[in-house]
Amino acid sequence: MPEAAFIVQLDDFQGFIVKKRHPSSLALTETMLNLVFFEHQQGEEEAIRDSDIEGMRIASFAMEVFPGWTVCFVLNEDDVLEEISEELTGMGRFMLELMNADPESLEIEEILAKKSSMPAVDDEQKAAAIFMTPSSALLLERLHTEGVESTAKLSMWLKNQIQSENVDLLEAITPLMDSGLVTVEIIGKLETAFLMKDVFPHRAPPVKSFKATSVAHPNLMPRYEEYLKSFFSPDPPTRGYNPTLPVTDPNSPILEDREKIARILSNSIYYAVLDCLRNGPLRLGQIASQISFPDGVVQGALWAMEAERIVANFEEEGVWALITNPKMEIFMPEFILPIIASKLEEKKVGSDTARRYLELLVQTWSE
Amino acid sequence: MIRSVYILGQEGDVLYSKEYAKSESKASLVEFLVNLVQFLKSMDLEGKTEFMNVSISRIFFAQRELFTFVFIADKADDAVQIEDKMTQLVETFMKDFANLATAKQPLDGFDSKVDEIAVTMVKVAILGFAGVGKTTTLHLLRGETLPLVHDPTIGVSIKRLPEEVQNANIVLWDLAGQSRFSILWAKMIANAQVVVIVTDSTLENVLRSKKLVTLVKDEVPEAKVIGIANKQDLPTALTPERVGQILSIPTYELVAIDISYRDRLIQIIRKSILEGKAEIKAA
Repeated sequence: MPEAAFIVQLDDFQGFIVKKRHPSSLALTETMLNLVFFEHQQGEEEAIRDSDIEGMRIASFAMEVFPGWTVCFVLNEDDVLEEISEELTGMGRFMLELMNADPESLEIEEILAKKSSMPAVDDEQKAAAIFMTPSSALLLERLHTEGVESTAKLSMWLKNQIQSENVDLLEAITPLMDSGLVTVEIIGKLETAFLMKDVFPHRAPPVKSFKATSVAHPNLMPRYEEYLKSFFSPDPPTRGYNPTLPVTDPNSPILEDREKIARILSNSIYYAVLDCLRNGPLRLGQIASQISFPDGVVQGALWAMEAERIVANFEEEGVWALITNPKMEIFMPEFILPIIASKLEEKKVGSDTARRYLELLVQTWSE
Repeated sequence: MIRSVYILGQEGDVLYSKEYAKSESKASLVEFLVNLVQFLKSMDLEGKTEFMNVSISRIFFAQRELFTFVFIADKADDAVQIEDKMTQLVETFMKDFANLATAKQPLDGFDSKVDEIAVTMVKVAILGFAGVGKTTTLHLLRGETLPLVHDPTIGVSIKRLPEEVQNANIVLWDLAGQSRFSILWAKMIANAQVVVIVTDSTLENVLRSKKLVTLVKDEVPEAKVIGIANKQDLPTALTPERVGQILSIPTYELVAIDISYRDRLIQIIRKSILEGKAEIKAA
């Protein structure tokens, strides 16, 4: 495993700035930094790149969400990149997230020694990204009623909805494609978008955490139960949380809440903290040690989620617990089948398009 | 770097704002700042400058009497340096402009004071195809001896101009001209205030360079773009006027290996920076 690494940022004014390096004696040249950066501009961003520069073997990692930042590991002679690339990717992600959250606390030596790592963005987070881009959420709504539509028509519809010519359909549809909700294919001469999956963003009761609490912290149960009751089923006339109520008003609190959930889930550090708490209540130090982030960063995440009524702090016991479990539930859009049948009957879609749609649904959902 | 400066009144009204570079969307930022002013009403900063991290930015704020002062800077910036600049801004404003702001009068002369305090760097990108003399132009600007052997630039070479221009440090970005590095050009010219497109004044190269003008206008529409008709000492050179006509940008003659062109070139860049500022103000 590499024992030397550095983190470099391309600043729009000052150029390449080496923000952290280990060991401090590690000598770097402008040419090396240029070539490492250049490697990452040539293809898929979130990937490990291998370069041999000025006698140094460098494995570098960059993420699209942190443009201009690169983590570089100086490989030893006996390091086989294929064998360690997954570990390096995880450490790279960890360093970039920590650099963004709390740069002062980042110690490369410690990260290399502990192999502190962060997993890749999972399906739930990819789905959350849809609701971080308003035009993506709009497109999803359109596909709920159409199922399948040419991208040209979707683009026109979106421009009409947003009342602007400056709409980039690619930008809007990318989160839908990344999360696997939408597939785009050329059918005949038309580029066509198909809705393959649907997503239901909501807060679920934290069942697993609740059950774990009854075993590990029975003394918390009355207060924990009270928290859950006040949110999900308060005494009348107050209404509890019900995300299934149909909404037409864009200012509906449910839609606003959907964006809050998406914001929490798409933040990788918040998500890591949340994921720990899904298994049961924990102390701050326990969370920090599970995800290897400093206490201050975890504390910040907990406070942010407390403000959104996702976690609660049981101060006397020094324990944090999940009170609502934000979820992006992905399911098969069965409701679309009769719509396609009627579109086919009305000749709004061709038989080849309908047939291909069914094939894609079978491919996606068959076991 | 300081990306923007805001001064807000007691009710969160924006009394003064200036953007030097792109940061968060202005509408959401202003909304955030208005909330910040409301929040600060319940706080006493004791004359200090505080900061908070928001996304990739670091927001520095200070309060004096009815006014809230805000700098949007980068997380990477030296906090002590920015705090010093904030102190200068607050003192300048309170001494000469607070009364005007209270009376809702125009803050004449304040803009240039803010520039003096906040502008720290001006980026000048030097762009052109391989072998046209970009690095030689860079050496000329820096008053350096020219290398005897042609050593192609890898990626980008970043150097400062020894002189300050209008209280700004000029940072010169000499971009590699080889076509394999063309994928970097759009990223590397981001936030440039001036882009210098260097040609070797041959018809073929000037025609190819039209693509660069389009790229610059697409990527940094607010930048001032100038052309350099280099290698005017060669018999095949088109005149600067003809090069300018083809590129449709103001173009100046140069023999980058001739040191006597240095002052003239610095004057051209100085003028471009000032013209760029004037255009931004007019807009």
